[in-house]
Amino acid sequence: MKAKTNGCDLHRDLSESCFGVGYARSIAQHGELFQGQIEDRECRRRRCLVSLPCKEMYSEATFEPSTTKTITIQPPHKLKAKRSAELTCEYLKVPWNGGSIRIESTVPEAKGYGSSTADCVAATLAVADAANTYLTEEEVARLVVKAEVASDNFMFQDAVLFAHRDGIILERFAPSLPRIEVIGVDTAEKSYVHTLEYPPAVYSRQQLQSFRILTGALRYALRQRDVRLLGRVATASATINEHFLPKPLFKDVVAIGRDVGAVGVAVAHSGTVLSVLFDPQDRQLERGIHQLRQHLCDLGISKIMRFKT
Amino acid sequence: MNDVYSAILNSYTPRLVSLGNDITAAIFQFMKVFPATFCLKRAYEDGLVTSRSLIIESSSGNMALGLALACNLSGNPLTIVTDYACDDCLRQRIEHLGAHVVLVSKPSSIGGYQQARLNRLAEIRAENPDHWWVDQYDNPANPGAYSFLAEQIVGTIGQIDCLVGTVGSGGSVCGTATFLRELFPEMTTVGVDTFGSVLFGQQDETRELRGLGNSLLPQNVDHSIFDEVHWVGAAEAYTATRLLHRETSLFCGGTSGAAWMVARYWAARNRGARVVCIFPDDGHRYIQTIYNDQYLHCKELWRVRLPESPVMVKHPGLASSGWSCMQWGRRSYVDALTLAGSLAK
Repeated sequence: MKAKTNGCDLHRDLSESCFGVGYARSIAQHGELFQGQIEDRECRRRRCLVSLPCKEMYSEATFEPSTTKTITIQPPHKLKAKRSAELTCEYLKVPWNGGSIRIESTVPEAKGYGSSTADCVAATLAVADAANTYLTEEEVARLVVKAEVASDNFMFQDAVLFAHRDGIILERFAPSLPRIEVIGVDTAEKSYVHTLEYPPAVYSRQQLQSFRILTGALRYALRQRDVRLLGRVATASATINEHFLPKPLFKDVVAIGRDVGAVGVAVAHSGTVLSVLFDPQDRQLERGIHQLRQHLCDLGISKIMRFKT
Repeated sequence: MNDVYSAILNSYTPRLVSLGNDITAAIFQFMKVFPATFCLKRAYEDGLVTSRSLIIESSSGNMALGLALACNLSGNPLTIVTDYACDDCLRQRIEHLGAHVVLVSKPSSIGGYQQARLNRLAEIRAENPDHWWVDQYDNPANPGAYSFLAEQIVGTIGQIDCLVGTVGSGGSVCGTATFLRELFPEMTTVGVDTFGSVLFGQQDETRELRGLGNSLLPQNVDHSIFDEVHWVGAAEAYTATRLLHRETSLFCGGTSGAAWMVARYWAARNRGARVVCIFPDDGHRYIQTIYNDQYLHCKELWRVRLPESPVMVKHPGLASSGWSCMQWGRRSYVDALTLAGSLAK
């Protein structure tokens, strides 16, 4: 049996015992295509986002149940992942009391790559794997949000609008994101953003209303796989976010992006990274990316990351 | 109040219908119910209104009916100050919904009926301490109400190149265009006004065509939104409304016909561009007028043929009796009229 969430493989230990060592892996993200706050149909305000998933980075978790009373974690500072494991044990009503969990991650922390969500998703799935059972994406999302208060949404295969502090899906847009070619940069290599240390943005009425049209545009762009419109949404969402967590060089990168034929710029709404988005169908793609690299170099940015959704 | 807003949104959501030629119409059964309900919702949120507060507004008809629907659901008492333009059927419907209608019978020497209504409104306000004046002309919640429309439009058709709509209070066109421009800053916005309306710099006069235009200049009209302004007369608007009915089977009010005539013209000159045109209400209110041949012929409000294009003018004062157009160029009211004035000389 194989459980899968968006690029996160959960594979069975081949032993016949009904539980054993569990292993799981989760991808990360490169900031968000959208983050804001909308009113749902009952007029309740919900903070929500759409992650920009990135398969190049991942967290792996190995969980070994034991007869001890508590769960221990390595590395010890990954407390959110530990909490996820505890909550998952509780939720699954597993027959053991404790265990040890080890996280191995290639995801840098406090940059907007969703490192803690990746750790938590991997930890949650590893516990489920150890218990020889299966969790739905929705269950994973709820457990992870409970553990880390606010999480990203790459545990979902579908392109969804995710209420990241409530752990629920507000809208399912499409079975997947369209193909996007991404050039990721970190414009503040020496600074870090710890999600929970930042108070959630307090949006103005104007901004709240803007989010309505942005979610309308997301609906169209994701259903029709309209990468150009998706790029506009990302830039608009990033521009609103500039009022709360400004990024060095944001305006420069947006202007350069426009010049070299990018469809938009996405940011980490809780982090320091920017993503310049391109349409893979664009015939001038390679030329545009080449020019972008040169312009970024002029700005003093040489370290970039290229990936596809 | 959130329940009321959700109920109205569910009952009155417009339909987006493709009319061919790259024109999509946002067809409202009754548009004004949205700003009416949204203004009330905002007033509740801001603590300006409780369930017992008297709601007051001056309106010649549609805003009055919108508020009557909203207040009927919210339970608030409502007083509407109106004039002859509010026909008996509409007045009765407003009263059936529980509102009190005050009719002003004489126009004010400056500002016409609208000013006379505002004067009466001021008296009613003075008599009622727990009241709230909706003030659709200057209340930012009026244009603010249209974020749902912008969301619906972009969610249904994606990129938009041009928005066409009639202008009265400034709510629908200015609100919708402002929201759409956040994603499509290059989108063309075309406003449709009528002769004798002060909105885009004409002298105030008695107007045959209602539902657009104004004798006062509302703060909610943001002139810098508009790329192009058209002035349309009653005969052209009514003829276009009937043509719209015959060609598309859409049964709409006179402002829809005016907007459609302008949208067709713009779309024909910009092939492949995606145009959205706002149709504010359906035709039932106009059975005795626009949809009555005898009425149209007696009042000489029928055109055998519609002009294919407007007369291009460089100053609002030069737009006289027939369909006219001015390149507004996203200028402020003062800028547009000053520059236009010097060019016209």
